[in-house]
Amino acid sequence: MISLILRRGALSLATLFLLASFIFFATEVLPGDALDVSLSADEVAMMPPEVLARRKAELGLDRPILERYLGFLGGLLKFDLGRTIITRAPVADIVAMPLRNSMALAAVTLLLALPVALGIAMAAAQAKGRGLDNAVSGAAIIGYSIPEFVTGLLLIAVFAVWWPIFPATITASTDDPLSVLLAAAPLAVITTIIGSIAYLGRILRVGMIEVMASDFVERLHLSGIPRWRILLVHALPAAVIPGLSAAALYAASLVSGIVVVEMVFAYPGIGAELVRAVTRREVHVVQAIALAAAICVVSFNLLADLGISALDPRTRNA
Amino acid sequence: MKALLRNPACLIGVLLVVLHLVVAIGAPWVAPYAPTSLLDAPLEPPSATYWLGTDDLGRDAFSRLLWGGRVAMLVAFAAGIIAVIGGAVLGLSAAFMRGAFDDCMLRLVEMKLAVPTILFVAIFVTGFGQSIPILILAIGIIQMMGVIRTTRAAGIVLMEQGYVRAAQLNGESGPKIILRELLPNVADLMAVEFALRASSALLLVSALSFLGLGISPPTPDWGLMVEDAMALLDSEPHLVLAPALAISTLVLGINLAAEGLAEALGLDAARGGASG
Repeated sequence: MISLILRRGALSLATLFLLASFIFFATEVLPGDALDVSLSADEVAMMPPEVLARRKAELGLDRPILERYLGFLGGLLKFDLGRTIITRAPVADIVAMPLRNSMALAAVTLLLALPVALGIAMAAAQAKGRGLDNAVSGAAIIGYSIPEFVTGLLLIAVFAVWWPIFPATITASTDDPLSVLLAAAPLAVITTIIGSIAYLGRILRVGMIEVMASDFVERLHLSGIPRWRILLVHALPAAVIPGLSAAALYAASLVSGIVVVEMVFAYPGIGAELVRAVTRREVHVVQAIALAAAICVVSFNLLADLGISALDPRTRNA
Repeated sequence: MKALLRNPACLIGVLLVVLHLVVAIGAPWVAPYAPTSLLDAPLEPPSATYWLGTDDLGRDAFSRLLWGGRVAMLVAFAAGIIAVIGGAVLGLSAAFMRGAFDDCMLRLVEMKLAVPTILFVAIFVTGFGQSIPILILAIGIIQMMGVIRTTRAAGIVLMEQGYVRAAQLNGESGPKIILRELLPNVADLMAVEFALRASSALLLVSALSFLGLGISPPTPDWGLMVEDAMALLDSEPHLVLAPALAISTLVLGINLAAEGLAEALGLDAARGGASG
């Protein structure tokens, strides 16, 4: 098991290294940076070329790309994410609190959505091919066909405009304690949960049907154990493994969903920072957010993977 | 085809897609006003002249609704084609060659699991600018990973078949075997993959437009329309609901059709669905 942890950990680090390189080259291979975006064409024309060159040199934007790449990797090893191009603020300071807030939203979503999705999947698997199962499949396909921003706005229309029991957008600020923030964001949480249930429920239903069709369930059934007991006592633990792998598959989609939902509800997370950074071409902030998201997803996948291996010895050689 | 149309859910899906395609193609002739012309009458309520009223800039909302899917559909279908063709070629090559190339492909597919798609496109837009070709390319590449996975798996099964062995023993070249023996046998799979990739590309491009990172104004686009009208949700809900309904029905239509198609072809449709 220890060698397995080391092997998978090293693989995850390799993945992160490749992702970091991809993020760097995709954002910096072409010339053009926040300085060009923040200055209008007129200003550039007015500015003496040596002043422009000096500002670029100050920012290190004139160095060859390989040198910048090595600097970027070196900075990462020291947890130094660089500074923003225009305001010279440390990127880590800009990204830290929004990242915390987004991670809280993601964690709450997974914790609430996974058991519900599992329950729905079990009920559907139990009724395979009959009314309830068809209803669940139908609801799931509608659920993941509706974009998150539409779900969010529909919830606002119903629960904040027509029947005002929840606030439409979030008034809490970036640095508020998480409890205050999440309490102020019930509709945002519900939106991400709805999307997650549709996605997870669909994968888990297949997993549950497999479990319920397996030999050991048939044996239990034939030995006269009631169906509900098989479902709760025997099939549920067996469904933890498909549940973990579904959650691992879902992690990256959850981040995408959260970026959008945050924008709908003005939730102070990485979504708004990302959009601001991309439109202003604050390259270092985009890199930091992308890396942070990649680290979260990769570590989550690693944990899920190790969890599955711990529970299911058959997968250990894979 | 008949089995396809007997499945009511699939039939509804096909009808929705056809309806959307007809509207998108016919918009220039059907729309009562030009989608970007300012009519000097902002925020008119729906009426006989302006079926869905006008938006905050005084543009006819109904005309914009008819036009609003064109660019998004173009991006989604083009990205879907790139994803399916590129993915099938890479996936089948991996199945044919195995070895180092196969390992590379598997690594790529695995890495995709760690990259949220919206972030992937945002990185591209940061580096290469916000334009339609960049959107198509970025979405096409990220969607390609899923196609590599499924076609590679199908290709590995096909490699065991007698006719592939025969072609190999006849000394036919690798590209010829991939194109002539393997590719035609995954055509069914590619059709289903195309529908699934196009529907998730559509979700992705609308979300990006909503965020301001996708299609740029003044192009009429559903995602942009929703974003524009979001602040007017309490006074003019129809300006938000109409484009929202349009996106959702199109994506739903494609997904229903894909599900029916997969079922009719005996493929496994419920392998996790398209990832956002």
